[in-house]
Amino acid sequence: MAVPTENYIVLATFVFMLGVIGVLYRRNLIMVLMSIELLLNAVNIIFIAASRDLAQVDGQIMVLFIITVAACEAAVGLAMVIALFRRYGTLNTDFLRVLRG
Amino acid sequence: MMDASVVLSSIMGMISPAQIIFYMLAACILLSSLMVVASRNAVSSAVFLVVDLFFISAMYASMDAHFAAAIQVLVYAGAIVVLFVFVIMLLNLKPEAMKGIHLNFPEAAVLVFTFIGFCVIAIAVSRTGATGIGDGNMTAAAITAAGGNTYVVAMRMFTGYLWPFELASFLILLAIVASVVIAKKEPKIAGKKMDGDASLARDVASSTSAGH
Repeated sequence: MAVPTENYIVLATFVFMLGVIGVLYRRNLIMVLMSIELLLNAVNIIFIAASRDLAQVDGQIMVLFIITVAACEAAVGLAMVIALFRRYGTLNTDFLRVLRG
Repeated sequence: MMDASVVLSSIMGMISPAQIIFYMLAACILLSSLMVVASRNAVSSAVFLVVDLFFISAMYASMDAHFAAAIQVLVYAGAIVVLFVFVIMLLNLKPEAMKGIHLNFPEAAVLVFTFIGFCVIAIAVSRTGATGIGDGNMTAAAITAAGGNTYVVAMRMFTGYLWPFELASFLILLAIVASVVIAKKEPKIAGKKMDGDASLARDVASSTSAGH
């Protein structure tokens, strides 16, 4: 008797909400980037659960592409963090508001 | 360990070993995700993120996605989080510079109800295991008969998904070039000080005055 897919969906929703809380409430920019990685992993769990449920491997291929995109985004985001820190000396999102409308 | 759980489940007759593994892994994933979000120290969060990614990789392996589990450990836990730790150590962030989570009651209630709403929608939209339109033929038995998970994923990727694969490699090249260009040191300008918030205040004032 295999685990029903709803279990994986509820687990991934939990992880996704934790990631959303981290993006919204953390004041350090690096913590925000780490919470974004949590969001992407939650979506990966759902993709693999769906690929097992629908008896395809396309979900796992999508997971590989998501991991690739997450790596690129983490690299570029951390480069921006370095540039921001070099320019302003702080990573507090309360104070980094030059782009704020 | 497996024999004990099989015996136990046959005695209880309710839970299978796969469900026991799922609940254990789910508890570990939720605990480490919570610690990632709730840690005050950035390095602690990074370490909890590595642990979290290892448990998620174990969950992929329990779902018969062996190649995804290996790539998750290699790329996510082994490269991305290492990059995070490099940057944290490079910038030498102090723990007391980060505040914790401040959640007041209305925001917490909104988050809880949004979560419950997501769960309800997701379970309502998900399938309950009945076969229908869109079903593939790659069940676990078919994958094993075809030559294993990595073989099936590779065949599908390089035939049906070849174009996204090449685009992804081009995207990686773009990310490399972009991160090198962005993180490059600017040439030294005489008289330019790094004084943190005062420099930020100057920039905010100049941008708002330039915008009007």
